[in-house]
Amino acid sequence: MKAIVDCNNFYCSCERLFRPDLETKPVVVLSNNDGCIISRSDEAKQLGIGMASPYYQNRHIIEENKVAVFSSNYGLYGDLSMRVMDTLRYLLGPAAVEVYSVDEAFLDIPDNLSEAGLYNMMKRIKHTVEMWTGIRVSVGAAPSKVLAKLANRLAKKDKKGSRGIWVLDTEEKIKQGLEATPVDELWGVGRQYAVKLHNLGIDDGWQLRHIPEEWARVNLGGVVGVRLIRELKGIPCIPMKDPLDTKKMIATTRMFGTPVYELKDLREAVATYTARAAEKLRRQYGAASQVDVFVVTNGRREQRYIYKPQSRHRQCTLSTATADTGELIRAALPLVDELFEPGLKYLKAGVVLGQIKPVDSVQGNLFRPASDTTTLMAALDNINFSMRGDSVKFVCTGLRRNWKMRQQRRSRLFTTRWNELYELK
Amino acid sequence: MDREEYFGPAYRGSKQFSQHDVRTANATGFGAAADDYMERGIDLNQELVRNKPSTYFFRMRGDAMKDAGIFDNDVLIVDRSIKPTNGKVIVAVLNGELLVRRFHQNFTSAFLIPENSRYKNINLAEFTDFTVWGVVTFVIHPV
Repeated sequence: MKAIVDCNNFYCSCERLFRPDLETKPVVVLSNNDGCIISRSDEAKQLGIGMASPYYQNRHIIEENKVAVFSSNYGLYGDLSMRVMDTLRYLLGPAAVEVYSVDEAFLDIPDNLSEAGLYNMMKRIKHTVEMWTGIRVSVGAAPSKVLAKLANRLAKKDKKGSRGIWVLDTEEKIKQGLEATPVDELWGVGRQYAVKLHNLGIDDGWQLRHIPEEWARVNLGGVVGVRLIRELKGIPCIPMKDPLDTKKMIATTRMFGTPVYELKDLREAVATYTARAAEKLRRQYGAASQVDVFVVTNGRREQRYIYKPQSRHRQCTLSTATADTGELIRAALPLVDELFEPGLKYLKAGVVLGQIKPVDSVQGNLFRPASDTTTLMAALDNINFSMRGDSVKFVCTGLRRNWKMRQQRRSRLFTTRWNELYELK
Repeated sequence: MDREEYFGPAYRGSKQFSQHDVRTANATGFGAAADDYMERGIDLNQELVRNKPSTYFFRMRGDAMKDAGIFDNDVLIVDRSIKPTNGKVIVAVLNGELLVRRFHQNFTSAFLIPENSRYKNINLAEFTDFTVWGVVTFVIHPV
């Protein structure tokens, strides 16, 4: 059996943990730079605030209904996410937990449980996570991942009836669940396939399940399609993934808090993102030999009143793969100079590190002696990690950072900083 | 990357710890007798954080709990996984506000008791929305 544990409106729940007065009030969390709404409490959803809709479009609803608004506080969400995952690992063993995203995890559940036993186990998982971490979750269990996702969706749809738990453990229940679900709401069915299926008169999950596998292979993306049909039949085909999969590419990209016009600011921003990406690179013990820088501008000056973002990028390849922040910045900055064109309004920039290999299998370069900065980088990471924030940084990443993100309504880092603890009376 | 073989909720150090991380007392090149007894130093987390995912830290403001040894500016360690039984110091949610008080409960009544005679007892019978946020397990107080 598979199960999925999904935190309810995760970012909003995190904010509510330290603001119990908002427990039954509408809450929204904004994206980086306070641009869009990325998490809504149930009350906010009922007010008609759309997911990922821009903040300014919902301003009147928010002000009229006194909706609590927060800037995203990823430090807090990350810590609470880790607590949820740690609790699950404690309950089921680390091998049985696959962290799927910041607020969702798949669980491997023993197959030999009775119907009541399975339900009780789900109840216990839910209760323990909620008691220990304070984050509300919904749990769905079924023979396969796709069906577990469906169960979770059903649990969320009927919160009162399900009390946050939905188990699809018999053919009868699976049939009912699939019949009640349109194909576009199934995990793994994209919008294009949904349109295709609707045109063929296949509207719900139960109909989709009866499609011949051969047809799915041809028309629904090959092996992926076949896997989907099998999963719908309750045959688990999508294995549990190793959560420590190393990434092939590492990107750091941000919208600027205020648009940037100067080369100096742009260089600072790109250097900062490169430093960030290099840190992530070292966390997975990797070294990169490709640096790609991109910028997003608001088009030419003549079209000042037209919002038509344009993206441009430049990349370069290093002779030797490296994890040294300094070397990566040295590679990235000339690319910024090439990309920069005076008179344009820059909205966003990003750095992508590619061609990543494990640091211990990097081939040396015959013509350039290796400068081993591993110890220096380890020291840098250690200081920045233990002191928090960027305590030690490269000067070229800027001291004032005019372009930094806007986060005007960020709550405190209650769980990760001594000087931001919640004050109790 | 190596992964830990089993998972326990207790705090086990921020990094994977091996015998190589313990400094050796052998500075002379001769096997010093003390070397056989070198071990890892005291880790406060081991004592103060019993269950890592459920442990939160708070800062005390005010003197409502001074007779219980909790003073202004002290750090409170709060464990959400502990059952709030009679007599425990808890973090309560009352009227949407977080509050630290001693919890008194018997068959017929429940009270939140301050540890300072200047404050009033709170009779929980008068409140409908009372919940327990967590149980205070330790206080860190500078001397």
